[in-house]
Amino acid sequence: MGLKKAFLRLATIGLGIGLMTSAALAANLRVLAWDGYADPDWVKDFTAATGIGVDVVFIGSDDEIWAKIKGSEGQDFDVFAVNTAQLQRYIKADLVSPIDITKLPNQKDVLPRFRDLSQVSGDTKDGKVYGIPFCFDSIGLIYDTDKVKPAPTSMSVLWDPAYKGKILAYDNGEHNFSFTALTLGYKDPFNLNAEQMAAVKAKLVELKRNVLSFYTTADEAQQIYQNNDVALIWANYGQQQVKALQKIGAHVAYVNPSEGALAWLDNWVISKGVRDNAAAEKWIDFMLSKKIGGELSERTGFGNTVVESSSAGGNDKLVWLNNVEDPLKRSDMWNEVKATP
Amino acid sequence: MSGVGSTQAAERRLSQLVTVLAFALPVIFVLVPLAIFLVYSFFSVDQGTIVHSPTLGNYVRFFTDPIFLPVFWNTIVLCVSVAVICILLAYPAAYFLTTLKGRWRYALLMLLLVPLLMSYVIKIYAIRSILGLNGFLNKALVALGILDQPSTLFVFNMNAILLTLSLLLIPFAILPIFLSLERIPQTLLRASDDLGASSLQTFLRITLPLSLPGVASAASFVFVLAIGDFLTPQMVGGISGFTFGRILYSQFGTAYNWPFGAALSVALAIVVIAAILIGERFGRSRGTSV
Repeated sequence: MGLKKAFLRLATIGLGIGLMTSAALAANLRVLAWDGYADPDWVKDFTAATGIGVDVVFIGSDDEIWAKIKGSEGQDFDVFAVNTAQLQRYIKADLVSPIDITKLPNQKDVLPRFRDLSQVSGDTKDGKVYGIPFCFDSIGLIYDTDKVKPAPTSMSVLWDPAYKGKILAYDNGEHNFSFTALTLGYKDPFNLNAEQMAAVKAKLVELKRNVLSFYTTADEAQQIYQNNDVALIWANYGQQQVKALQKIGAHVAYVNPSEGALAWLDNWVISKGVRDNAAAEKWIDFMLSKKIGGELSERTGFGNTVVESSSAGGNDKLVWLNNVEDPLKRSDMWNEVKATP
Repeated sequence: MSGVGSTQAAERRLSQLVTVLAFALPVIFVLVPLAIFLVYSFFSVDQGTIVHSPTLGNYVRFFTDPIFLPVFWNTIVLCVSVAVICILLAYPAAYFLTTLKGRWRYALLMLLLVPLLMSYVIKIYAIRSILGLNGFLNKALVALGILDQPSTLFVFNMNAILLTLSLLLIPFAILPIFLSLERIPQTLLRASDDLGASSLQTFLRITLPLSLPGVASAASFVFVLAIGDFLTPQMVGGISGFTFGRILYSQFGTAYNWPFGAALSVALAIVVIAAILIGERFGRSRGTSV
C-alpha cells in the first residue's frame, strides 16, 4: 500500500515537473544560429536583462537552416541567422517577417556601412527590412610581408609574373569568376553576360598559369604554405586563415583589394512563425550591443557590425556575396579553365 | 515427432532465408545502385533541379566537348603508368619475399602491408609535405648535392600524382604477385636446374611466365584503384594535374549536375570493367596453358 502511494506521489511530481518545463519552453525565445552567435554567457546576460528565457539550436550549414525553417514553415523558431545571399530565398518563400528597425535602438549606432540597410544588398525587399546585419568577413588577400613589397592593394597582383608559382588560389568556380570580374572592373560580379564570362575565363586561365595550386580547406593552404615558397594567398577563409598563419609564426598581413573584396554577411531575421515579436526584437537589439559585437570579433575572428575589427577598415570596399546568374555554367567553365593546358 | 518436423521446417526456412539474403544483398547494394546510376545518366539538369526525362545529351556532351576526352585519355595514360611503376617496384619485392624461409617471409609481407592500415588522407598529407618545394625530398636532394636548388619537378603537377599514387598503391601490387610466385611448385624450378638451365633461364622461362597471372591481376588492381581516385589528384595535382576524377567530383559537389556526373561515371565504369576483364582473361589463359 505504502509502495503504491509513493509511486503515485512520484508520478505526480514527475507530471508536475514535465508541465513546468513545457510551460517554460513555451515562453522561451527559440533561436537558430551558427556556433559562436549565441554563446551561453550572452544568453544568460540576455535572460537576466529582459527576463526572457532562450533556447538555442546550433546549425552547421546553409542547407540545414533551410531544412529546419522550411520544414516547419517557420513555426519552430522565432529568430535565426542567415546570410544575405540566402535571405532572398526565404523572403520569396514567405518564411520571414519584416522588421521594424525603430524597435532596435542599437541599430542607430552601428558602423556606417550597415546604417542604411537599403544599401546592404539582400537585406531589404520592396522597401521593407528583413535582415539585420550581425557578423561578416571579407575574402581578401593574404601576403607574405617579407616577399611582397610594396604591400599589394589589388587582386591584380595575383597576375604579376614576379610571383609566378608563389600564389595559392581557391578551388571554386563561383567565387573565382566573381572576384576576377571585380578585378576587371565589372559592376555586378554576380550577373555576368556571355561576353564578360568569356573575358573572365580567359583571365582565369592566365591566373591558373601563375598560381602554385588551388586549395580547398584552410588547413590545406597552411600546410602548402609551410612546405613551399608561397607569397600570396587568396584568402577564402579571411581572418581565421590570417590568424592561423600568424600563430605558426608566418610573417603575413591581410588586405581588402581596392576594387572591392567579396564578403559574406550574416543577419538576424525574424521567422514567419514568431510567437513573441517583441522578444525577438529585444534579442536582435541585445546582439547589436557594443559589448557583444566586440566579444564576437574577439572570440571568432569575424567582423561585427558595431565596433571596428580587423576584417575591414572603415573605407574598405566590401561587395556582399549574392547568388550568381548560373552556378552550373560557372562550375563548367571553371573545369574548362582547369583543363586548359 | 512434430517437434522434429518443426525444427526441420525451421532449418529449411533458415537456409532459404540465407539463400535469399545471399542473392538480395549484392542486388540491393551493387546492382540496384549501378542501375540507378545508369538511369540518372540519361536525365538532365535545369536551374538546379533534375529533369526526369530521358536524353542522350550527357553522352553527346562527353564526346563532343573539347575538354572531357583529352582529360579522360590523359588520366588513363597516367593510371597505366602508375600500374607499370607499381609492377616494376613490386615484382622484385615480392620475388625477394618468396626467397625467404618460414616465418620471416610472412613477417616481412605483413610489414609491407602495414601502410594499408593508415588513413589514406593522412598518407597524402604526409607525402605532400615530403614533395613540397621546401619539403623533405627537395631538402635531401639539395643537402646531398644532387640538386643546386629545390626543384619544382614534382611539386603540384602530374609527376606528383604519379609518385603519390604509385607509393600509395604498391601494397596492392605486391600481394597478388607474391601469391602467384608462391604458388609455383619448387619441383619445376629444381627440374629446370637439373636439366642445366641457368638461374636467369629458369627465371625467364619458368618463374616469370607462371607469375604473369599475378602480375596481370596486380596491374588491373592498381589501375582500377588509381583511376577511381580523385582525392590524390585534388591534393597534390595542383594546376596541371587535372584528372577525370576531379571533373567527376566537381559534377557532384559544386556543379550539382548529378546526371552529367553519372554519365561520366558510366564512361569511367566501362574502362574499369574493361581493365578488370583484361586482367582476368590474361591471367587465366596464361595460368591454364601451362
